[in-house]
Amino acid sequence: MAAIETLSTPWLDAYRPAGGHDALLDGQGEVRQHWRLLLKALESLGHASLSSRADEIQHLLHDNGVTFNLPADESGSLRQWRLDPLPLLITPSEWRFLEQGLRQRSRLLAAVLKDIYGPRRMIDEGVLPADALYANPDFLLACDGLLLADDPGISLHGIDLTRDAEGRWRVLADHLQAPAGMGFALENRIVMARALPDLYRNAPLKRLAGFLDRQQQSLAALARLNRDQLSLALLAPGADHESYFEHAYLANYLNLALVEGGDLVVRDSRVWMRTLGGLKPVDVLLRQIGDAWSDPLELRGDSLIGVPGLLQAIRSGGVGITNPPGVGALEHPLIAAFLPDLCERLLGEPLLIEGVERHWCGRGDGLAWALGAFESLVFQRLDGDLQCIRPGTLDTEARERLRQALVAEPARYVASRVPAGASAPFLDRDCTTLLPSTYNLRCFTQAGFDDERNFHGYEAMPGGLAWQGAPGLAMQASQCVKDLWVMADSPQPHVSRLRRSRLPLVVTRDGMDLPSRVADSLLWMGRYGERLDGRLRLLREALYRLMDQDQEGIADETLIDLLPLLGLDRDDETGATSRFAADRERLMTLFQDGHPDALPDLIGRMINNGRAVRDHLGDDAWRVFNQLRQESARLSQLGPVGGRRAVDTLMTQLAAFFGFCNETMPHHYGWRFMDIGRFLERAQATLALLRFALLDAAHAGEALWEVVLSSSDNATAYRRRYRSELHPAAILDLLLFDEGNPRSVGYMFKRLERQIEHLPQPNDTPYRSSEARLLIRARAALHLADLEALAQVEEPAARAALAALLEALEVPLAELSQAIENSHFSHAEVPRQLVPMQAQGDA
Amino acid sequence: MRYRVCHTTRYEYAAPVSLCHNEARLTPRPLAWQEVGETALEVSPNPSVLQSRRDFFGNEVSFFSVQELHQVLQVTASTEVETRPRPSPPASANRDWQQAVRHARGKPALRQFQLDSPFVARHAALARFATPSFPVGRGLLDAVNDLNQRLFDTFAYDPEFSTLATPVLDVLHARRGVCQDFAHLMIACLRSLGLAARYVSGYLETLPPPGQPRLVGADASHAWLGVYLPTWGWLELDPTNGTWPDERHLVLGWGRDYGDVPPLKGVMNGGGSHQLAVAVDVEPLGA
Repeated sequence: MAAIETLSTPWLDAYRPAGGHDALLDGQGEVRQHWRLLLKALESLGHASLSSRADEIQHLLHDNGVTFNLPADESGSLRQWRLDPLPLLITPSEWRFLEQGLRQRSRLLAAVLKDIYGPRRMIDEGVLPADALYANPDFLLACDGLLLADDPGISLHGIDLTRDAEGRWRVLADHLQAPAGMGFALENRIVMARALPDLYRNAPLKRLAGFLDRQQQSLAALARLNRDQLSLALLAPGADHESYFEHAYLANYLNLALVEGGDLVVRDSRVWMRTLGGLKPVDVLLRQIGDAWSDPLELRGDSLIGVPGLLQAIRSGGVGITNPPGVGALEHPLIAAFLPDLCERLLGEPLLIEGVERHWCGRGDGLAWALGAFESLVFQRLDGDLQCIRPGTLDTEARERLRQALVAEPARYVASRVPAGASAPFLDRDCTTLLPSTYNLRCFTQAGFDDERNFHGYEAMPGGLAWQGAPGLAMQASQCVKDLWVMADSPQPHVSRLRRSRLPLVVTRDGMDLPSRVADSLLWMGRYGERLDGRLRLLREALYRLMDQDQEGIADETLIDLLPLLGLDRDDETGATSRFAADRERLMTLFQDGHPDALPDLIGRMINNGRAVRDHLGDDAWRVFNQLRQESARLSQLGPVGGRRAVDTLMTQLAAFFGFCNETMPHHYGWRFMDIGRFLERAQATLALLRFALLDAAHAGEALWEVVLSSSDNATAYRRRYRSELHPAAILDLLLFDEGNPRSVGYMFKRLERQIEHLPQPNDTPYRSSEARLLIRARAALHLADLEALAQVEEPAARAALAALLEALEVPLAELSQAIENSHFSHAEVPRQLVPMQAQGDA
Repeated sequence: MRYRVCHTTRYEYAAPVSLCHNEARLTPRPLAWQEVGETALEVSPNPSVLQSRRDFFGNEVSFFSVQELHQVLQVTASTEVETRPRPSPPASANRDWQQAVRHARGKPALRQFQLDSPFVARHAALARFATPSFPVGRGLLDAVNDLNQRLFDTFAYDPEFSTLATPVLDVLHARRGVCQDFAHLMIACLRSLGLAARYVSGYLETLPPPGQPRLVGADASHAWLGVYLPTWGWLELDPTNGTWPDERHLVLGWGRDYGDVPPLKGVMNGGGSHQLAVAVDVEPLGA
């Protein structure tokens, strides 16, 4: 480092901290030493370049999609969460303090956990009021004594911090039930490294890879039974949860199976995963569902995301779990209020990082303090949802009501004073100005184990997340996040993203351990994708005709037939001129939400199934998926011309999506199910189209046959092959019998048969599965059909023969779907509670 | 008194059940005045897992899993119990009830029985209802006896009225319910006044009408409550009968409310709709 020079850069012109501690400028207004490198880098990048890097960051973030999953967003797009190109720097000496403090906090909470679900000495000795447990909705009686003696108790701990205006670090909250954010932190780091490689590579910052590497080891150490090949899983609440993408991301990074409650079952006091290959044992669960939802038998009976019998499996040592259910009690503000005392008593040392000033109104002078500073405090009701009530923001009447409730029942409240925050530099959205803002951090610690699986203390992740906002603002509510850079004394080697596992690797190729639910979702993703494709092709034809009709002012008969094929009604009463308007309006309903066959609905269903299997899709496929989602969001604003273009775009995106899937997914069971879904759907749609065009349509004939060919994109193939007028025999040959044409039913049957042959046979019988038999039936009907006899579609006999043939193909296909469901997705029904008994005794 | 208690619960399902996990709290609790002899828990079909532990309150819990396909689950708990008269509180326990409230406030072990629990929430309306029994300065014993009697006198026993989770305020409003509701209501009243009260789950020997034989299996689970008397201990009260429990009241266990001590609960996979039949038999064995 050069000697201190006064650094002057236009970046600092508008930077005016409020007067409290600032991360960038010291008390004299000089740039702190460790920020100089970064400011110089900003300087040399220049505004334009920085702005394009910031764009790149947003793109990478969006493509990876690990931001919060907020399906409620009406626009259908992910909320834009801005990642500031400028990281938050922590100096080595600041980190030494923080690291010690964070590790101490985990040690302390683990000790408190063991006490409150064990001897409860801290209650008996009066260190902790009994209300901290008994008025605490997250203190779960069923978890009493759940921990085994050698269990570290807490093995993953998320800690929210802020820095107050005086420059003191303060803990704001603990996250133990489902600590979120590690995936974001990891993703932010990877994105930063890609977007700002020069800055990132040269910076002497601590890397995250080692910490995450050891997390897998830490999980493995919790296994209760000694098995050679451990199976570790991340228990997630499912695809609708706001952190789902992070769960998928972490599971992939840490090489854990991503499972939901419904994938798991407790038998013989152990936890098993339902897979295509039957039940597979699970040794350790990284739990990301709330405590109360973990086990509908002993905890909340209405939980649909938990695993019945899980607590007993934990008690019996049948499964290792982290963090153990019950830890949520420690997140309660009343326990936080007593941590300084608990630390002295349990660890015999002072609490290193203070919390906020916080008092229970039910003890000593807590009430007097709370009433004295009433309007500047935040109140939380112990037994409620812990929502923060700020008297300062209430109207007079509500404020008085709160004051009265507080005086009447002080023991129900805890009051805290949220400190004024320090500031740190944030780049504005345009990357033109550096502005000071208050901020929060989330850091993580995890339990460390030696090679003999002995717990040897906690380590802190040298990094984390920072977000803009007043102290205590929830991460999800912030507009802007930052990567947290813990500076090292010397440059650190870059570590590859693909870590070397310390666990014995299980080389598997068959994919038998695929959860049945995942296979089910992949199949339906394929089906909806294909249904969407078919719908798009027909819609495109209809839009072409609509526009022709507009120009030529004449009615197109084909359109009359196309509307019902697209699931739309048509009444013929209206005259020719208004008919155009009416047809147009009907077609455009397919671009709106609400109609069951409308594009946004189909896209939505495909996306929902795809999201549920995020960890099985490649990043490229996922990127296209996100584009599809964005395209879907703007459909409702389009007219016919824009609509037709959007249809083309969507078709291309669909093709790209399935193309990426075919190119990058291993061709194992998962891919096979997706493929079965696609070709099952395509075969059904093709048969329906043929039936309609050749038999059922009001205006059957060449115009409609052309639609059949174009909508299967076979018009060119037809012309090249037959160089002739349209003829039903040729159409039937091309679309039914020609097994070399991927748009023919014959080809689809062959493909389905091949895929089904490769599926696992759960019962391991020597006989053909019912799926295979159904396909043989369908293929035989096709092979035995006489094309000559069918082709004269004007003749009643030929029509009857064609109708019979189509039915002979349609029926087994319809049964096939159910047969696959029965053989492979027999996920047990949702667990339900027994009707409980009531004590009725009288006299 | 000596009894043989036999408690059979039978679930019949419309569709087969592939797996169920259950928790039973069907073993009477050994107490100074209640000796528990041989006990047996029979489950059909045979459970693959059967484990016992003590819950947070010290009640015995049996966890069992039935892992084979079944359409009927039958659980029979049978126990021999010998009861003796419960000790009566001394006159000194009848001190000013408000003093008792102050006394109980500082006891961590009582706190969970003073606060809200899932089925029992304190409320000003409950305190108002209880107040006539609790005038200033009245002895605690007299006050709780009076409340117990008022509940017995003014509430109708009506198995049609309540469901498992009838809120206590509804019971207060309708003045009807079953033993569980009356126990919850009285607990809620006592807690609303600041006293510590707990729910007791058990059985009561029913006496046949004069001149008629005892009906086997016609008994039922019963519920009452305990209130804490400072310096003495828990006094049990049975508002359904307006009495203090006696030798005919057999204790299974206790908790904050029903939710802590359901005799049997379970979660099953499959089954469709199901029917529940319960038969309880409290058979006196003579001296």
